[in-house]
Amino acid sequence: MEALIDTREEFDDLLGLYLPIGIAVAGIVFALVLFAVLRYRRRGDEMPRQREGLPLAEALYALVLAAIVVALLAATFTTEDRVDRISDHPGLEVDVTAFQWGWRFTYPGEAVTVVGDDRRPPTLVVPTDTTVRFTLESRDVIHSFWIPELRFKKDAFPERENTFDLTFEEEDAVGRCAEFCGLAHGEMTFDVLALAPPDFRDWLRTQRREGEIQHRTET
Amino acid sequence: MRGAEIGAGTAIAGRVPSGGLLAWIATTDHKRIALRMAAVAFGFFLVGGIFALLIRTELAEPELQLVGRDTYNQLFTMHGSTMIFLVVTPLALALGVYLVPLQVGAADIAGPRAALAGHWMVLAGGLTMYSSFLTDHGAGKAGWTAYYPLSGDSATPGTGMDLWVAGVILVGLGLTLVAACLVATVIRLRAPGMTMLRVPVFSWTMLAAALMAVMTVPVVGVAMALLLADRLGAGIYDSAGGPIAYQHLFWFFGHPAVYIMFFPFLGITAEVVATFSRRRFVGYKPLILALAAFTGLSMSVWAHHMFTTGQVVNKYFSLASTALVVPAGMEYFAIIATMIGGAILLRAPMLFALGFFLQFLIGGLSGVILASPPLDYHAQDSYFVVAHFHYTLFAGSLFAGFAAVYYWFPKFTGVMLRDSLGKLQFVLLLAGTNLTFFPMFLLGYDGMPRRVADYAPDAGFTDLNRLSTLGSYLVAIGVAVFLWNLYVSLRRREPAGDDPWEGHTLEWATSSPPPRYNFRSLPPVTSYAPLLDRRIERSRGGRGSGRGGRR
Repeated sequence: MEALIDTREEFDDLLGLYLPIGIAVAGIVFALVLFAVLRYRRRGDEMPRQREGLPLAEALYALVLAAIVVALLAATFTTEDRVDRISDHPGLEVDVTAFQWGWRFTYPGEAVTVVGDDRRPPTLVVPTDTTVRFTLESRDVIHSFWIPELRFKKDAFPERENTFDLTFEEEDAVGRCAEFCGLAHGEMTFDVLALAPPDFRDWLRTQRREGEIQHRTET
Repeated sequence: MRGAEIGAGTAIAGRVPSGGLLAWIATTDHKRIALRMAAVAFGFFLVGGIFALLIRTELAEPELQLVGRDTYNQLFTMHGSTMIFLVVTPLALALGVYLVPLQVGAADIAGPRAALAGHWMVLAGGLTMYSSFLTDHGAGKAGWTAYYPLSGDSATPGTGMDLWVAGVILVGLGLTLVAACLVATVIRLRAPGMTMLRVPVFSWTMLAAALMAVMTVPVVGVAMALLLADRLGAGIYDSAGGPIAYQHLFWFFGHPAVYIMFFPFLGITAEVVATFSRRRFVGYKPLILALAAFTGLSMSVWAHHMFTTGQVVNKYFSLASTALVVPAGMEYFAIIATMIGGAILLRAPMLFALGFFLQFLIGGLSGVILASPPLDYHAQDSYFVVAHFHYTLFAGSLFAGFAAVYYWFPKFTGVMLRDSLGKLQFVLLLAGTNLTFFPMFLLGYDGMPRRVADYAPDAGFTDLNRLSTLGSYLVAIGVAVFLWNLYVSLRRREPAGDDPWEGHTLEWATSSPPPRYNFRSLPPVTSYAPLLDRRIERSRGGRGSGRGGRR
């Protein structure tokens, strides 16, 4: 069985490389400017020594920058390969349809569909510690499926499917639309409920039964 | 060479309307065109700033208080499109229109009538965009990016959106014309002795920016013209590939546009730092090389705005975008190397230039994070992005814009701006800017999306939003101090003289303001800092010592 990919952990690890380098660079530049301003304040009417450039130092410096770029990209590429990987054997499939302004979650083969209503947003129910395959599409304009807790989002386009895998730990989270989509964009949220696999199977069974009852009453 | 007469002026002069309203409307003097472009841009800046204050006031507390959601969507759309299309880009070009002919020792801009037409088209386009407020459905409200299908006729119906799109087309045409004149000026109208490697840093950055504008602004014109046709029923983007095609066209312009709004301000900072350090700009040639590399790469990075679409080759655009670290780092190196060993005077222009330098760094470093797809998967379309581009455009470009105003105002008008008020304005803007925009990094990381009018009270966003709103009011006070400074300085005039800062470049060799055709005579152009050369030459001759000589 393939290892589960925890997008949040991947993000944290990668940011753990980028952020300290960024802070160090900012610190060095701030310190150099402060040093220059304090040490080389104009005092008299003297002309300072002039120079055209420091070719050797600059060439070495450019090489250092290039090395940093290579190191950052190497980490980015390996992380992206893991985050974007599509598993051969997902534990569950969920079809997500985004629309103005809400979400529909369908569990194919299970005859279960979740949609919110005017009073409350829909809840995306998933099993924990399972690779969940999402197939995402929009019914109208572009939306974006974002679960901040998982540090992951993917855009939903009309007439075009996007596929990605996510895994969940046992915790409540919220998801929302991240791509501006008109009037009620800000309210286009959903809740995420991750259940232990046995509980998830119970939930699925209940939903199926309720769906059948509803189906019968409607016909 | 000394005192070479300028013959170009008489050749360009032609028929010039002599006085009255027509002369004001139809002047072909690049300096008057430029000042008007800058004044129009500043007017739009104040309006766009009021939109920003309304947005910040709405966001100070959870839920809706001040405006409805529809109005809010119009406000941020018009704020963004105003600042990009009508403020920062035109302001950059206006500084170029004024200063590039002077810096290269030309009598006028190349194609003054085209530049004039460009200026009027930008204004007309701006007014067209703003006329959308008068329509039934309200102004443009699909964001400044106007992604399709949201910007299509079925999702956003109404004449207002049509007018917004038409306005952007007009502005784009105007900006392209002005940029083309700047390119031609640097290529064709340089004074005798002014080789390409003696063109001052600011004019080089303007050349690079204008080249990018000429190559990419027409693309947004096409994207918008197709969008207008689509809205009128042509169904151009109405297919499975249409929405992503629109994004490609938009960002092929949209990302170089970011550097069009960066380069000239980097050039300003370079000039100001060199002058206020009394130092020849260090590392001129590597800087030109870095600019060229940057300009080339700028047209291969656009899809880093599209990492989350799942429809682009993320790694290629991540590679190209991250590679920009190298030329950007070289630019930073050159400016620091100019300061270290100089004789630094901290007047208002220098403070604003350093403000640009350090704050843009934060914008740039956060940009490196956004260039990494797995990090962008979280940050994209969150307040992290809003923080990032405001650090580049507001904390960056606009600070350098103020550096330019404080530095060249004496040249434009012949009078000095008050330095003490400038310093007060700097402190207010510095505090306000960071208070406004730094919390947005944290809000984005915590999951606050951009382009929303409200947020839940229990989302944990309230405190940081309050800080941010408070900061925006400080910015407003800072801008008010600037207006006061303009008023006081023009009312009780302190004459500036030709060269109040001991400038390095040719614009300081003529009167303030310069005469109609700029120069009565030109000093010899010996390098990219001809006036510094002359000063060193004279101090050597005067004192008979070798101090301060060129290497």
